[in-house]
Amino acid sequence: MRYGKWIAVVGAVLGLAGGAAADETCQSPFLPKLVGQEDFIYVWTLGIEGLGDGSDKLVTVGANPARKDYGKVVSSVSVGGRHEAHHSGFTDDRRFLWAGGLDDSQIYIFDVASDPAKPKLVKHITDFKEKTGGVVGPHSFYALPGVMMISALSNSDNTGKTALVEYNNNGEFIRTIWLPKDAPYGYDARINATLNRMLTSSFTGRDNYMRPLPELLGDAEAMKNFGDTMVVWDYHTRTPLQTLKVPGAPLEIRWAINPNHHYAFTSAALTSKLWGIFRKDDGTFEAVELSDIGDPSKTPLPVDMSLSGDDRFLFVSSFFDGTVRVFNVSNPRKPYLAYERIIGRRVNMVSQSWDGKRVYFTASLLANWDENTEADGQYLKAFDWDRSKLEPRFELDFRALELGRPHIMQFGKIDFYGPQGAGAE
Amino acid sequence: MRAGRAAGLLAIAVALGSSPARAQSFYDAPAPGSYALPVIDSVEEHTLLAHDGKPAPLLGLGERQIAVVSFIYRSCSDANGCPLALMRLQTLDRELAKQPELAGRVRLVTASFDPKRDTPERMAELRGHMSPKSDWRFLTAASRRELAPVLTDYGQDVAKVIDPSGNETEVLRHVLKVFLIDGEGRVRNIYSNGFLDTRLVLADIRTLLFP
Repeated sequence: MRYGKWIAVVGAVLGLAGGAAADETCQSPFLPKLVGQEDFIYVWTLGIEGLGDGSDKLVTVGANPARKDYGKVVSSVSVGGRHEAHHSGFTDDRRFLWAGGLDDSQIYIFDVASDPAKPKLVKHITDFKEKTGGVVGPHSFYALPGVMMISALSNSDNTGKTALVEYNNNGEFIRTIWLPKDAPYGYDARINATLNRMLTSSFTGRDNYMRPLPELLGDAEAMKNFGDTMVVWDYHTRTPLQTLKVPGAPLEIRWAINPNHHYAFTSAALTSKLWGIFRKDDGTFEAVELSDIGDPSKTPLPVDMSLSGDDRFLFVSSFFDGTVRVFNVSNPRKPYLAYERIIGRRVNMVSQSWDGKRVYFTASLLANWDENTEADGQYLKAFDWDRSKLEPRFELDFRALELGRPHIMQFGKIDFYGPQGAGAE
Repeated sequence: MRAGRAAGLLAIAVALGSSPARAQSFYDAPAPGSYALPVIDSVEEHTLLAHDGKPAPLLGLGERQIAVVSFIYRSCSDANGCPLALMRLQTLDRELAKQPELAGRVRLVTASFDPKRDTPERMAELRGHMSPKSDWRFLTAASRRELAPVLTDYGQDVAKVIDPSGNETEVLRHVLKVFLIDGEGRVRNIYSNGFLDTRLVLADIRTLLFP
């Protein structure tokens, strides 16, 4: 066998764990990436009372046009009950997918390696609040070497003070790191290994995120309880170094992927602003307001972002206007709107493939923030992206399929998982 | 896999290791003892084969000793995988040798997860290439069966890459992990691709040895 060929094959499957990161482009830098065609999308889905089995579930959708299951539901694993299914993340070897519930802080661990078409629930963590010393609302699941780091949203008082929590890959608790007093709210956590820096962002506590949205919006006092900070950390020591002011609940964080690009983006949900977090020459960071996202006076509520692997296009999805806006961020301090499209009545998550050719969207944000009507459009939609426009490929109606509300998407691939074990006998 | 090509790749790694060209660093290593290294996991003692073919403990630590354990295979072609790990470990070896207060208390262990090809003789050859200056041991296993519980214990994934025709190849997919193990067999840190910085490893070693 020619070795050069296999260097290419291995590279095509793995990506560079230390160099480029992605949605596939926004994954942890410690996670091997799927850089080719994904076979499956794992959709962590909220149950809807009275619909199907009514339970939260992990739904596997075929995503490879070369397979017969393209655009179809391949399998579904219910976890029993509704827990406000929200985000998920792979372990550092990509063999297990952790998924959390924001309401009762349940965590479910799925084996996606043994049969990538049919994930299997292998562990259920029920004592997150007790083990962590009162942290609730496990949000982002982010792989570190041998460790799963979880950024949470709240605490046992249901306010916004919260923490980062670490478990080992066996599901055993390691430690809790509370966010600093001047920036107690939490949401996302993302690491730049080149800089040994971690950024965290800030949302709101359980009192707010579990409340019906119209009621919340009418409560001026409650609306004060949202985060307006980001924290720069020394990743290796988990030490907070700097608190940055970013008004209006900065949510998702996307570090630039090129290791020579020392900046990140975030979107502030309540103010509808795009922000850049830039490393300065002295090694500290500054937060810079870059652009409006839609018309802030209409509160589009930008909720998710996806940065292309070449650091050129930033997809920003806005919940209330159901629109994705694609900013050209080639000059990160001077982004401009390059494209926009209404995806649905509402849109939440946006995920793109490593090569940026395929982009997927889901509709659901939070059970009590979604429209609770038959017409709320609980979809997964797949598009092709040719660097200028989106072309529809397939669409699944999760309500018609009696599945629930689709939320975060992760990609899977069958031949990523060869026979496990050491070299040939 | 062609042995000649593998030897060439290794030679490149070794050459780089003897004169490491460190990429520009954008951060300083932390002060030892200024941060915590909580217990991540614990591992058992295992018996493998030393480079002379004799049984040897994987850790074999004495009182107040720690180990830096890495799993590699000599046929690895991923420049950001095993060759990079060996280069960084050689840098660490040289740093440890220069620091007498550490040299007797830190053991480097490099174990192959490819026992068929990486025989004790091949590990002896690797040892010769790396020319350790500190306590750096090179191990392999008698068979895949004997190695399997070690990999499971450390959570080190290793899988054969499948070719486009669906056939197994001899290329092994793995996530590079280097483990910092204290004298009680507890994992105190794990370094992966992109973050195997010898300055950080040394700071961690001092944090554990001189709390």
